[in-house]
Amino acid sequence: MLELHGVHKRFGTLEVLRGIDLTVHKGGVVCVIGPSGSGKSTLLRCINLLEPPDEGKIVLEGKEITGGARADDLDYVRRRVGMVFQQFNLFPHKSALENVRLAQEKVLGRSREEATEKAHDLLARVGLSDKADEYPDRLSGGQQQRVAIARALAMDPHVMLFDEVTSALDPELIKEVLDVMRELAAEGMTMVVVTHEMGFARDVANYVVFMDEGVIVEEGPVRRVIDAPREERTKQFLGLVLEH
Amino acid sequence: MDVVFEQYFDFGIMGDEFGFVLDGFWQTVQLSLIAGALSLIWGLVLALLRQLPGKRFAPVRGLAIAYIDAFRGIPLLLVILIISGSAPFVADGLGLPRSVGIPQWFGKSDPFWYGTLALTLTYGAYMAEVYRAGIEGVPRGQMEAARALGMSHGRAMRHVIVPQAVRRVIPPLLNDFIALMKDTSLVGVIALLEVVEAGRTVQSETLNSSALTLGALMFLVVTIPLARIVDRYIAHEQGRFQRGLATT
Repeated sequence: MLELHGVHKRFGTLEVLRGIDLTVHKGGVVCVIGPSGSGKSTLLRCINLLEPPDEGKIVLEGKEITGGARADDLDYVRRRVGMVFQQFNLFPHKSALENVRLAQEKVLGRSREEATEKAHDLLARVGLSDKADEYPDRLSGGQQQRVAIARALAMDPHVMLFDEVTSALDPELIKEVLDVMRELAAEGMTMVVVTHEMGFARDVANYVVFMDEGVIVEEGPVRRVIDAPREERTKQFLGLVLEH
Repeated sequence: MDVVFEQYFDFGIMGDEFGFVLDGFWQTVQLSLIAGALSLIWGLVLALLRQLPGKRFAPVRGLAIAYIDAFRGIPLLLVILIISGSAPFVADGLGLPRSVGIPQWFGKSDPFWYGTLALTLTYGAYMAEVYRAGIEGVPRGQMEAARALGMSHGRAMRHVIVPQAVRRVIPPLLNDFIALMKDTSLVGVIALLEVVEAGRTVQSETLNSSALTLGALMFLVVTIPLARIVDRYIAHEQGRFQRGLATT
């Protein structure tokens, strides 16, 4: 359902992505791992066109989203792709409920009643029914991130992108967010997850991509890449990550 | 010391002229409120024009920047003079009705409206810079999150960025409002009988400055509480900010 062909991205003279090919199947959970600065986050941001690629082609559900009329592409992509960020990026002037409701009303044109009902359902699904009226500064990091997931899900995305969503969390809060993601995966959501959580990757992903310096160094089924890496750089990285 | 007291605090003169000076101050207040409200709106429009994204809007951004730079760099007095001196001729030359060239709307004199226009043009530029600081102070992730949810730039600005930006800039906007209020005295030069001009009239009749002192006190009655409100608001917001940090 999602295909990348030779995607390049440059920031000035720095080439962050140097030819990425990747296929994500419907219902697939792809984990992208690799050292900082390897281009993982940029890859996700290219997929939903927050950073339009400089070269290459991205095809989403059969339609090329790169290189056509930009406004239409943006609309097409963002109605199908949800994204969750490392820093949550909840809207601090809105309550949890309003965060989940806002884009439903303003983008999808849902009625206040419909959007509210959906928001309540989703907050319940991420275990935050009792926090609907709280503002983000009264929620823990883990709670904020779960609201952010609910907010993305409210748009009925076909693919969810997760950009190091547990990296800004205290260790004891990581599990509650990963549990929500596990459930989502189990329900068949197509997911691309940039993560340092190898345990999560091992349990949930069915495909792992190891990136370094803007290219995919190694990819394959989870057990193959994480437990029996072939490339030297992958072994090195996994050695460092799994050590502690 | 008596002479100082006599010259500035002659309660006799203050009492006699209280009504006259207060009428002037009422003009000052009206001018401040109307020009202040219009500046708030015009400043936000300028700031939003300046933030329009993409190559397509580069000329608009350029014009907005040029306008802001120009009006921040010209003395308000000069703006007041060029408007009041030529507005009737310009309006006439452009074939506009007389009520535009010499506006006397809502029972207010034409100097009042020339002053309103000059203050709005100038303070709109100042306030645009304040809004801009507020907009640019909203973390980038906010715009990204809004865009990722499918909102257009305009919707994201309206529902996500501007509400947060305005909250951040309420204190500096209030400071600008205080400065605007004080600058309304410049409109006195085109014969608007606001508080300073009223005080001056009394001064030239009595050879005594007590009416001006009275005007100064009237200003302080408004500006000091405003300054305290700004302080309170800042303290309140800082408290919020620190609580926010504690929870993440």
